[in-house]
Formats: sequence, structure tokens, C-alpha cells
Amino acid sequence: MAKNPFQNFFTPGPRGKLRWLIFGIVILFIFTFFIDVFGFKNIVAQKLDQGLSTVPVVSDWRIWPKIEKSPLDNTKGLKFKNIKEIDLINYGLPFSLGLDLLGGTHLVYDADVSQINPSERADALGGVRDVIERRVNALGVSEPLVQTNQVGSSWRVIVELAGVYDVNQAIKMIGETPLLEFKEENPEASQLTPSEQQQLDRENKAIEEKAQAVLPQILAGADFAKLAKQYSDDSGSKDNGGLYQGVKKGAFVPEFDDVAFNKLKVGEIYPNLVKTQFGYHIIKKEAERGEGDNKEIDVRHILFQTKTAADLGLKINSEWKNTGLTGQQLKKANVEFDPNSGVPEVGLEFNDEGAKLFADITTKNVGKPVAIFLDGSPISIPRVNEPILSGKAVISGSFTTQEAKLLAQRLNAGALPVPINLISQTTVGASLGNESVQRSLQAGVFGLLLVVIFMILYYRLPGVLSVIALFIYTTIALALFKFLHITLTLAGIAGFILSVGMAVDANILIFERLKEELRAGKDLAAGVKEGFHRAWFSIRDSNVSSLITCVVLYWFGSSIIRGFALTLAIGILVSMFSAITITRQFLRLVSGWRPFQNRWLYGVRKKTIT
Amino acid sequence: MKLKIIQNRKYNYTLSLIMVMAAIISLLIWGLKPSIDFTGGSLMEIKFNIERPAIDQIQSGLSDLNLGELRVQPAGARNIILRFKTVDEETHQRILSQLKSKFKDVKNDSIPALVEERFESIGPIIGQELAKKAWMAIVLASLAIILYIAFAFRKVSKPVESWKYGVAAVIALIHDILIVVGLFAILGHFAGFEVDSLFITALLTILGFSVHDTIVVFDRTRENLAKHYSADFEAVVNDSINQTIARSINTSLTILLVLSALYFLGGKTIVNFALVLIVGIIVGTYSSIFVASPLVVTWHNLSKNFKNRK
Repeated sequence: MAKNPFQNFFTPGPRGKLRWLIFGIVILFIFTFFIDVFGFKNIVAQKLDQGLSTVPVVSDWRIWPKIEKSPLDNTKGLKFKNIKEIDLINYGLPFSLGLDLLGGTHLVYDADVSQINPSERADALGGVRDVIERRVNALGVSEPLVQTNQVGSSWRVIVELAGVYDVNQAIKMIGETPLLEFKEENPEASQLTPSEQQQLDRENKAIEEKAQAVLPQILAGADFAKLAKQYSDDSGSKDNGGLYQGVKKGAFVPEFDDVAFNKLKVGEIYPNLVKTQFGYHIIKKEAERGEGDNKEIDVRHILFQTKTAADLGLKINSEWKNTGLTGQQLKKANVEFDPNSGVPEVGLEFNDEGAKLFADITTKNVGKPVAIFLDGSPISIPRVNEPILSGKAVISGSFTTQEAKLLAQRLNAGALPVPINLISQTTVGASLGNESVQRSLQAGVFGLLLVVIFMILYYRLPGVLSVIALFIYTTIALALFKFLHITLTLAGIAGFILSVGMAVDANILIFERLKEELRAGKDLAAGVKEGFHRAWFSIRDSNVSSLITCVVLYWFGSSIIRGFALTLAIGILVSMFSAITITRQFLRLVSGWRPFQNRWLYGVRKKTIT
Repeated sequence: MKLKIIQNRKYNYTLSLIMVMAAIISLLIWGLKPSIDFTGGSLMEIKFNIERPAIDQIQSGLSDLNLGELRVQPAGARNIILRFKTVDEETHQRILSQLKSKFKDVKNDSIPALVEERFESIGPIIGQELAKKAWMAIVLASLAIILYIAFAFRKVSKPVESWKYGVAAVIALIHDILIVVGLFAILGHFAGFEVDSLFITALLTILGFSVHDTIVVFDRTRENLAKHYSADFEAVVNDSINQTIARSINTSLTILLVLSALYFLGGKTIVNFALVLIVGIIVGTYSSIFVASPLVVTWHNLSKNFKNRK
């Protein structure tokens, strides 16, 4: 009687089970492969992209569905794109690359906490961290990392900035101690006199005319970089021919951003001068990468800086006047809730000197506003209702709890100025990082090829199978790096390359064992079984010793070394799976097929299977 | 064909002893040359887009900045590496601007004449901390591995106690580390090789690898003894080595293949790291075949003689 095929499908025999396993492995491979390839920001996807789009037939394949939002009717449509149009780089998860590959800087600050009560040190450092984070965010750095840690009795702040071009400026900004000031209304506030205003306008008109004279030269095709060097007042970009690379939206003032991101196409020069708070700009867009929030551009500009009243030596009296009360006299700030309404407020507590000053100020200014300035800009302007003599104050306003918390933190940061001191700096230029990525990739590919050749020549059929397992291993490990957000450093890539060499070690142990079993007269199926069984203990024991060192390395390491320990450890763990499980299933499958039962294929001399 | 490795162990011992002595002597005389990772100091790598200026020109261009002992070294085709004391960011910028103003491309100034590729300035405190941590890491890793080996071999008993395998593996491991460190002391003296945190990383990795192959041989000895331990212990161990020698060499060979790819093709910052690992793997493989197992046999014979005399 014929077997029911469906029954066979769902309750497979041993051979059928094996096929299901192999099928699972293939699916795993395809899945991880796609994860690896798409979204590799650097070289592989670019090359693949270029390569695929030049192949005539392949470039017409419509494979990749993309949900597109039509701007007119706001409906979603599913479209299939040609390979040619697909930008592989922007799909999927990216690998996260370390500072040494991306270019960037790693700064270590020592925080002087000697003036601070030991129990409040952690909080004080948290305040410093938040301040630094805000300052760094203002620089437009993508994913800055700011950490604090304690080494023995000293406190450290570690700042990692990826892809920063002007490290010097970043360091300057981070190093400033937050400045909190209390100011009162200035009765002598004044504006420029009409004649002074005219003088200023005249000066700035001249600057605009100078800019207008340069613009046509540039539009006529003169060397932008050269003219930028000659004319630009922007000391940050002047020496680079006015170039800013890898800039994201929001890094520049809005007027500049609008032109650079929305109005210009790559290679174009904006035909008018662009006026910002700094002056007049001539802007040229050089390149553009990425989409949406990841969009980055390279842009050149020439700045003709306009003058301010201060530049002309003119004095204007500001609206606010210093009172002498600063963050130095603030004891602490914390979030409170209004007992009646439950609305969050920020409570301030001054020290003795501050309490006295504050009492004076509030007595003088009843019914008037007092402004609280942080780093020169007002963060809160509460109105004084009555003189406050207790040395305590409440800033009430329409805060959310989050805002109140943030303000308290900022005030505390001002109130507890922990001086920080740069003690270590490591900066890697983007070009060096890029070169490192390329060379490591090259080394990885060649290393892999060498191992492949060796395994096939020496171990023949099992060697071929282990090579397939090795490729699967590579795709799984790389996909894991993406999923687990492992930062790949140069040492990390080295660790991964090393793990490729180690991944076949388990296979070598197994295959040698298999040979022995075959020579001892066992048949293939039994030999395979014994080979895996007997080799397992050696594989386990030897890998554990490497894993132990990985753990110690992780503990020892700076971020660079941690990358190495992590990639190596993941490599070892995945290789135990690939070399043992995957290779074993392949061997079981293949050894069942007649043509593959010749013993020569297994490196054993006797011709036939007994 | 069977190699008489155990029988000829005195030659192996002599070779190992010579290497270890040489390592210890060079360590005592020259010591390791620590990099700024451990001592503190600055390193600056500059790439010239114009023709690279002469070293004394660069030296003299920076002589007014009080950089302590300033060493200038060419690197690659267009780069130079400057080494000097720890400086603050202001001095760093002054160095750059002085170099930029001194070395310019006279004909074409649209591309910068020089670019800073990397800059490290490490405070002495950070260096000391790292050195302390490195020692702790080495000690910790060694202890963990010793414990693990003792645990892994707890079941082998006759005719040699399990802990003796552990001790032999650890002696082989110390042997490997000493030889590698000694070699790099020599390289430090003659070729200016500097020990940085990547070197420590490589050493710790070698610790893990070194016992790798040793465990494979010991495992086989364990298995053979279980099968017919009445046979001559020396012969059993020698057989075990011979049975596993191909896999010991092959497992190391695949690692050496990828490491040599890394050495020849990898970036310049990773070359030394690859070199340390290559040396470590070679020495580790040698010791697992020619040192660790013979030591177990020697020990066994010594204690047997000792018992017989009693």
C-alpha cells in the first residue's frame, strides 16, 4: 500500500528529518545573509550596488518592494524597484563602527570632586554628564557617548564623538564650566542711536557688496576652494576650502540648512547670497548621502561676516543687569510639586552668602522679573511676588515634570561646578579610519580564502562541507554583530578574522577523528557519529579556555579591546554551533548518497566501504 | 611512521630552556619598551600631501613649543609620526598651526598640504592605571585557566594524578608567554617595538590558545589510558602525541593563515598585534607537542623512582 505523502511530510522518517534540518540551515543562511548585506554603510554594499546595477539582466529585475508615500494623495503604494534604483546601503540595520574606523575622538576628563561631599559626588558627575551631553548635541554629533566612571578615588568623564571634524572646538565647548547667573532688570537698558545704527548698516552694506562681487566669479566657474581660502571669514572651514563634510540637518542655522538641504542639488551653487546671523554666505553642495534622518551632505561655503555693534566699539546696554548672585552661591536645586495644584516646580536653596544676596535682590525687585541665565542665555524669568529671606526659592512656570527635572539638573550643574580637566585624548582622522576598514576587509577576505583552500585540499569532501559551514558561520556572526549592536573596532574586526581561523578548528578535530574511525574499519555512518561524539570533549575544553580569556579581556579593556573580546567570544560560540551542528547535518546527508561514499573523498586510502 | 617525541625529550627541553633563558636575560637587560598607553605622552601622525619634509626641518619648526623630548619618525610613504610629552589641547593646536604655516604647497593651495591622521595624548595617570589593570588581567586570566584545567582533568587519575596535567599545561603556558615577551623585548631594543594595550590583548589571547592544543593531546592521553592503561605510560603518551599531531598543527595552521593575511594586508595599526599573535601561536603549538606532554612523563618517572627508592 502506498504511503500517504502528507503523512510522510509531517511525520518524517530519520532521513526526512535530516532534510528539514538542512532546510532550516539554508533558511538561516539566507536570512542572515540579507541582514549582513543590506545596510552595510561602507564598502560591501556600495560595491555590490555598483556591481549589480551594471550587470545588464540583473539590473532590470524588479525585486525589492518599497512602500512609497505619494506626496499628493497621502496614500501608500507598494512599488517594486529595479535593482538599478535600489540603494542597498540604506536598507536594514547598519553595522556600528567604532571611533577608530569612523574617525572621531575619545576624550577622558578627570573631575575634581575634592570640594564636594562624597555622598553627592555621583549626582554632581551626573550633572556634569548632562551638561556635556547638551553641549555635544549642540555640535550636531551623531550618537555621542558620554559616560562617567570611578577609578579608585578619582572620577572620570569619558566622551566619545564620532565623525567630528573640528575636535578643537568640541573640546573647547565641553571644557567650559556651566555658568549660572541671576540678573535683574536694567533701568539703563538702551538701544543703538539712529546715527550708530546707520553707521552699522553702512559697514554691513559694504560687506554685502563685497560678497555680491565674489558671487558672479563663483557662478562663472572660479575655483570655489581657492576663493574660500581667500575670502571666507569662517576660520573653521576656511583652510579646507570652505568644506564641511558629513553634515546632518540641524547642524547649521535654519537659513543655511534650508538652502543646503532643500534648495540645492549636488554640485550646484546657490545663485543668491544667503543671509544668516553670521553674515552672508555663498553655498555650494558637494555631495549627499543617505535618506531621512540619516541624510548627510558635504557642503562648501564662503562666509562674509557682518559686523555687530560690539565690533564697532559701540556700547549697548542690555536689558538685564548682573546681581552678583551666580551658581557659586546656589546650594542645590530640586524638583518639587506645588502642594495645592500638584504642578511641578523647581526649588532652589542658596548658601548663606547666596541667601543674603537673594534676600537683597528680591526685596529690591518686588513685582519685577528676575532672570536666571545659564551659559549666557535666559532659561527662566520668574516674577518676584514678595521678598524671600529664607534662602529658598521656587521657580514656578508651566513645567512638565521632565522639564522641571532637566532644569533642576542644569541648575545643579551650575550650582556644583565640578572642574573637569582633559587628561587623555585619542583622535583618529576619517581617512585613516576608512583605510583601516578597507584593509581589514581585504585581510578578512584573503584570510577566509586561504582557510577555504586549505580545508578543501586537506580534508576533501568534509573540507568542502566545512567551508560551506564556514560561510554560514560568517553570515550568522556578522548578523549577530548587527542585532546585538556590537561596535566594530579595528581590534574587533581582527578578533572576528581570528575567529574565522578558529571556526574550522572544531572541524579539523572532528575530521581527523572521522578518518581514524574509518581506518579502524567503521562504516561511514558510524564513523561520522563517533567522530562527532569523541571530538566533542576536546572541542568544548579548548574553547572554554579561549572564552575565559575573552571574559578577562572584556573586563580589562577599554572600548577598543572590548570590541575584540566580544567579537572573538561571539565567533567562538557561533563556530561551535556551525562547526558541530551544521557540518554534522551536512555530513549525515551527504554520506547517505552513493557517489559520496568513496573513501578517497574522506582522505582514507581503502577504496570501498565494507 | 612514528615520531619519538617523548624518547627524545631532552632535546626539546634543551631547546626550550635556551629560549626561555634568552627571553629572561633579554627581559632583564632591556626590558619591554612601554608605549604611551602605559607611560603617558603624545603621539601625532601627520600625512603630507606635498613632498615630505626632512625630519630636522620638522624638529626645528617645533623647537619653540617646549614639547619635551620630541622624536620624529617617518612612517609609510607620506606620513610622519611625532612623539612628545603629554600636552593640552591648546599646544596640540599650536603644533598643527605651526606645521601648517611652515609647510605649504607653493603651487597649489586648494588642498591642504598636511592632514592630521591621528592624535593621542595620554595623561600619565591613565597610563599607570592601565598598567595596573594589565597586570591584574594577566594574573586573573592565568588563574582562571589554571583552575579550569584542574577542573577539566579532574577525572584522569591512573597512573598520573589529574592536577599534574594541569601543572604541566600551566608550565607550558608560562613557557609560551615568557618566550613571546622575551622576543618582543629583543624587538623592542633593536627594532623599537613598543608594548601597548593591544600587546596585552594579544598576550591574553595567546594564554587562551596555548592550552587549546595541549588539551587536545591530554584528552587523547586520557582516552588511551582508559582503554589500556596497563601499557607503558611513556609509550601511551608518545602514541597520543603522534595520533594528534596532525590536528594540532592543522588547527594552528588555519589560525596562522588568517593571521598572516592580517599581518600582510591589515592596516598599520594592527600589524604588530598580528605579529605577536603569530609568534604566540607558533610557540604555543610547539610547546603543546614538545613540552607539555613530555613534562607529564618526566614527572611521572621522577615520582616513580622516588617511590621505588623508598
